[in-house]
Amino acid sequence: MLHRRIFQFFIVYLLGIGLLFGIKLVLNLSDYVIPGPTGVWLTGQAEFSRYVGDVLDTFAVAVIGQVLSILMALGVGVAGRRATWFGSFIKVAAYNVQAYPIVAIAPILFILLGDGFLTRLFIAAMICYFPLLLSVIGIMSEPVVDIEHFYRVTGRLRWQLEVKIRAFENLHKLTTVISGSATLAMAGTIVAEFIAANAGIGYSIRIALYQSDLSKILVALFIIGITLSLYQGILELLGAGLKKAWAAG
Amino acid sequence: MNPRLAHPWLTALILLGVVGSSLISANPALAQEKVAYRLKWLINASTAGDVFALDQGFFSRQGMEVVVKAGGPERDAIRELELGYAQFGVASADQVIRALAKGAAVVVLAQLFQVNPLQWIYRADDFSLTRIQDLAGRTVGITYGGNDETIMRALLATVGMDDNQVRLASVRYDYTPFFQNQVTIWPVYRNTQGIFLSDKLAAGGERVAFFDPSEHGVRFAANSVVTSTKMMDHHPQTVGRFTRALLAGWQAAMAPSNESAVIRAVAKYDRDTSEAVMRRQLTATRQMIQPDPGIPIGHIDTTAWQQTEQIMIRQGLIPGPVNVIGRLRPQQAP
Repeated sequence: MLHRRIFQFFIVYLLGIGLLFGIKLVLNLSDYVIPGPTGVWLTGQAEFSRYVGDVLDTFAVAVIGQVLSILMALGVGVAGRRATWFGSFIKVAAYNVQAYPIVAIAPILFILLGDGFLTRLFIAAMICYFPLLLSVIGIMSEPVVDIEHFYRVTGRLRWQLEVKIRAFENLHKLTTVISGSATLAMAGTIVAEFIAANAGIGYSIRIALYQSDLSKILVALFIIGITLSLYQGILELLGAGLKKAWAAG
Repeated sequence: MNPRLAHPWLTALILLGVVGSSLISANPALAQEKVAYRLKWLINASTAGDVFALDQGFFSRQGMEVVVKAGGPERDAIRELELGYAQFGVASADQVIRALAKGAAVVVLAQLFQVNPLQWIYRADDFSLTRIQDLAGRTVGITYGGNDETIMRALLATVGMDDNQVRLASVRYDYTPFFQNQVTIWPVYRNTQGIFLSDKLAAGGERVAFFDPSEHGVRFAANSVVTSTKMMDHHPQTVGRFTRALLAGWQAAMAPSNESAVIRAVAKYDRDTSEAVMRRQLTATRQMIQPDPGIPIGHIDTTAWQQTEQIMIRQGLIPGPVNVIGRLRPQQAP
């Protein structure tokens, strides 16, 4: 699973970079607009280790942000799963919070939390949590009639059991969504670093943009892509293992 | 309507259109040559001459239809020249030199700012910066990767100071660290942000002062008008007409008698700045566009360009000389 993901990433990255080089060649563009393969290679050699450090820094924040957003989405999803007034209120509140563009909220966060770890974490969690919430609400609002019916008529269906049944029956969906949300968490952290932080790969990309250095950005994208592919592969493996263990237990 | 009657009318209309359009294209006085002009930043007092040239018909009198496009952090005029999205643009000197170092075919037509508006603001009541050495031990804001970083490092290097002797702090568009006194010396565009920040601090009873690098020997060339070498070689007349119209627009915009008209032109795009602030921004801009009446607007300061290239080589921002002087193509003044 892991090697397949990395292989797929290589294909996507090489196709993308190949397209750029093709455009450069056809339109006869200078290295200022699109760098040549040699330029990208030399930049890669010069910046690789620094950028790996930056990506790992970003990745650490993204993972914590994702865990937080999973917890938040599960909490809100479970609370908002019922078609009651409170359930509807939770959903409306969650949707409204998400409607505010993060670039507008970032300066407020910057004032409240500074330009450090907490701001990055908060923005990452904000960006990552909404798709998770939608999936969790979707899954948790959908009764598994065949199974739940038995517990319901015997009067043993408590909310914890209801959540367990719905989670287990949709474990594959949940794993896919959680794995997919890793991309959002990473993207969220990079956005946060771009607009309101002094560390991480998003901050390095911002500096590269100031210097009009596309080579650095291409190198950064490569390292981000590899890291994400690995992480998503691991999450999928974990999901498969969890399902097996849960089914056996 | 009877379709048999409509037919001759339709033919006549089409013929009229064809004849009309061929007449227009045959008559250069009527045909408006379309070009796009990408600015470096959003439209404000710093772009007064650009919008005034458009607003007052300086371009159309030269037979040109110019689309003035606002810039921004994600816009790069030199890239757009090469990709054909714009024919003219505004770029900072460091941008031009970086582009030349990477093989871009770009030439400089005019230098809009004779004094670089990029300066540092600080609270005048707290300390005074009369020498570069006065920066020692203070927290100085810089945008890492931006030209303010290059300028500040060049300033420090001129007196043999390094990063250990000042605290360099990364800044962005949010001024909170300056308001909270965490970063005491903050980079600003003196003629726009400088005015706004002075007002804010004055409201709290604080006085400000500015640290101008050019007063300490660092003359980093500022925003200039650029075009591609291809445009220069293949359409020299268009380049000449554009530059003449633009510089005439700037000249008119900087005349104090036109101030109200200029403010009206800029206010069409910059709706968030009050008229009173814009008036003061214009006064500051005037002093930077033409500090010496003997030097014409658009004059290219070759010494500043040479110094800018030298600074960038010394700081390793470009691998070697790019002979920027050979890319300066001053146009005939209007």
